Amino acid sequence: MAARFLKLCKLFLFIQKSNIKTAFLNKADALINVIMMTINNLSFAFMWWVIFENKGSVNGWQFGEMALLFAVMNNAFATFALFARGIQLLPEYIDNGNLDNFLTTPKNSLFLISTSESTFANWGDYITGFLMYFLSGYVNWKSFWMMMLCSFLAFILLYSFRLIMSCLAFIISDSQRLGDNIFMALLTFASQPASIFTGWYKVLFLTIIPAGMISFYPVNLIKAFNWEDFLALTIGISIFWLSSLLFYHWGLKHYSSGNRFGVR
Amino acid sequence: MTNIIEVSQLTKKFKLQKPSSGLKSFFKPEYKNVTAVDRISFDIKKGERVAFIGPNGAGKSTTIKMLSSILYPTSGTALVNGLVPWDNRKKLAYDIGTVFGQRSQLWYNLPVQDSFALMGKIYDLDEIPFKRRLSKLVKLFEIRDLLEHPTRSLSLGQRMRCEIVASLLHKPQILFLDEPTIGLDVTAKEIIRNLIKKQALEEDTTLLLTSHDTDDMEKVCERVIIINKGKLIFNDSISALRDSYLNKKYIEVTTENGEKIKTVVNTKEKPAKQAIDELVKKYHVTDMTIENPPMEEIIKEIYNRG
Ligand SMILES: Nc1ncnc2c1ncn2[C@@H]1O[C@H](COP(=O)(O)OP(=O)(O)OP(=O)(O)O)[C@@H](O)[C@H]1O
Ligand SMILES: [Mg+2]
Repeated sequence: MAARFLKLCKLFLFIQKSNIKTAFLNKADALINVIMMTINNLSFAFMWWVIFENKGSVNGWQFGEMALLFAVMNNAFATFALFARGIQLLPEYIDNGNLDNFLTTPKNSLFLISTSESTFANWGDYITGFLMYFLSGYVNWKSFWMMMLCSFLAFILLYSFRLIMSCLAFIISDSQRLGDNIFMALLTFASQPASIFTGWYKVLFLTIIPAGMISFYPVNLIKAFNWEDFLALTIGISIFWLSSLLFYHWGLKHYSSGNRFGVR
Repeated sequence: MTNIIEVSQLTKKFKLQKPSSGLKSFFKPEYKNVTAVDRISFDIKKGERVAFIGPNGAGKSTTIKMLSSILYPTSGTALVNGLVPWDNRKKLAYDIGTVFGQRSQLWYNLPVQDSFALMGKIYDLDEIPFKRRLSKLVKLFEIRDLLEHPTRSLSLGQRMRCEIVASLLHKPQILFLDEPTIGLDVTAKEIIRNLIKKQALEEDTTLLLTSHDTDDMEKVCERVIIINKGKLIFNDSISALRDSYLNKKYIEVTTENGEKIKTVVNTKEKPAKQAIDELVKKYHVTDMTIENPPMEEIIKEIYNRG
């Protein structure tokens, strides 16, 4: 078990190394992409800074909260885009039958699918993420580790949610666009001040479109740790994580390995 | 000798959604069952080279996909090297190699050698044995010049040689080949065939090979399993297949004005002598050949009967 995990880690490092090698075939290109991504993120954050400068606060949220949200969100998305983006291609693999290639190997198929795609530019999201944390005004060791933990949990949520969307392809063909759109909706909801969602919207926001698990709980926890929010967050994310795995394994049983012509 | 593959009553049904429009079909879709593989049973011994043939849509690919753990069957069982494929995916992967002529297992944009390196890591091959294995296969399949090219730039024949090498890196005991010669020219087919056979003999690899080219079957395999419409209709040695049709003879005579006349005689119904006498009486024969029916014809007839 431990040996198997170690082998998987070795494979992970090997894949990441070759991703970086590929990206660095054109160093200038790679760096410009990272910088552009950072600027893009920062201009979005700047817009919110202007809004908060003018309005003061939105239902109790100020720029500091917003900065924490961006920290978690950007770090989580960077992790997703760099190390697990391949899951977005799952519908394509299902439709054209290339999933076969992943099923006949001795490694976890989800692991291989997830690491099959990586976009180097998203290193810029990490830069933004850490920068926003340091600009938030809540900087101390405790909040730093909490921010790191919440970023990881938010990544698990993004991944699980995307996996569920991708698995729709086991049921509906050509569902790529649908999955992409719903995933985008999640990201958009998660980039709003969580305080604007109240009443029934808040329920929706913490369940079906679980954006609150990226914004609402993490921001509360980084500011001031409390067990209630922490349990709600970890239980909520575990439910998504387990459901996504169940859905995937259910899907494999119903996978029919279509013959649409194509190559990996 | 023990059986390395045992298939018993294996069945696969596909559910196809009937294409109809409107809301009703969205909420209550109608399904049509397609029986792709229908209760087939057979055994394969270790080291045997078996051709798996049948007309389009017979269920060959579906069977291979079940045996290589890609598809779950609807009913029936199979054991591949002692494992139920679909329940032991990761474990079985070390024992089997798969090549699908219509798909690629190499990374499209990576140089071939990077794909191989990645495969090596995925199969936990240690650096030194991996290098040794690779250089042996590279030599055997003559792909040294292709290693630096990305897969997308390879011709079909070149790619197929690389695909087979990729499937052999971890030294599988069983190799599933689904139409490995599809789309190749005569020479490339010949090369692939020879390589597959040579490699299999050298390492005592068990082969299950599908193809629509009867030469693949005759030149590589010892035994043939024929299926049609999902049902097994023939399972015996290739010589037995030929013998069962030996009572058919193709006679071709050339007349004095150069005209060629072909006839098929069933020697059970009419002795060869009588047939030849009739021809000689009717024409002024200057030349004559008598042949067994080509494998193509034999196969065609079996398909038509089944
Ligand atoms: N993914 C699928 N969904 C629905 N039906 C399928 C699917 N794959 C195969 N079938 C059906 O199952 C039957 C057997 O198909 P299969 O691909 O196994 O045939 P085959 O013997 O490999 O044919 P070919 O020589 O053309 O490759 C066909 O009727 C086919 O239409
Ligand atoms: Mg086929």
